[in-house]
Amino acid sequence: MNIKSLVDCEKSKWEKIQLPNTYKKIGIGLAVFSFVLLFINASTINNIEYREIIKYGILVGLLITSISKEKIEDELITKLRMQAYSFAFIVGVIYTLVLPFIDFFVDLIIKADEASIKDMGDWNVLWILLSVQVLYFEKLKRTHK
Amino acid sequence: MKNRLKIERAILDITQEELAKIIGVSRQTINSIEKNRYVPSTELALKLSKVFDKTVNDFFELDDKDKK
Repeated sequence: MNIKSLVDCEKSKWEKIQLPNTYKKIGIGLAVFSFVLLFINASTINNIEYREIIKYGILVGLLITSISKEKIEDELITKLRMQAYSFAFIVGVIYTLVLPFIDFFVDLIIKADEASIKDMGDWNVLWILLSVQVLYFEKLKRTHK
Repeated sequence: MKNRLKIERAILDITQEELAKIIGVSRQTINSIEKNRYVPSTELALKLSKVFDKTVNDFFELDDKDKK
């Protein structure tokens, strides 16, 4: 396999994963709807099981938004998308490393006897990765308008 | 990297939108190239070369910073 066919193969693999542009609105809709449900649940019945299902809805919505194609998916958009993934990865790692310590120091000030370094949940990490990617990608697109 | 894309486009009397359609990219990509915010791939540069009927060197040029 020569380099060109290897590059084309990788490109087509990524394109296979991507969803059509129409899914972007579905993804945003699902994420926003899940957010609203999360607040409604928190302010009314506060059911833990419902909350977990709704949180999955937010992640699925953000994932669909993240992997949906733009109307014209050209090389500039692909580059911006990859930049946004890289940025989100770095922010995600920093967030995961720093937040437990911030939590710990806040706990230390408020309730010193209960303060401990807690582990970040999977949902928190995935949520920050996806939301930063989606938002940063939109910001990058605006700078190239 | 400096480019003469805007001038070449003016010679052909076509808009960013029209050039974008010819080479199969978005208008934003053409705009970004013209404003030196984005350096296109070799593939895209060759497509532009075909449209302008000139070599890539005729409308893309390394600036002093790139030459170092």
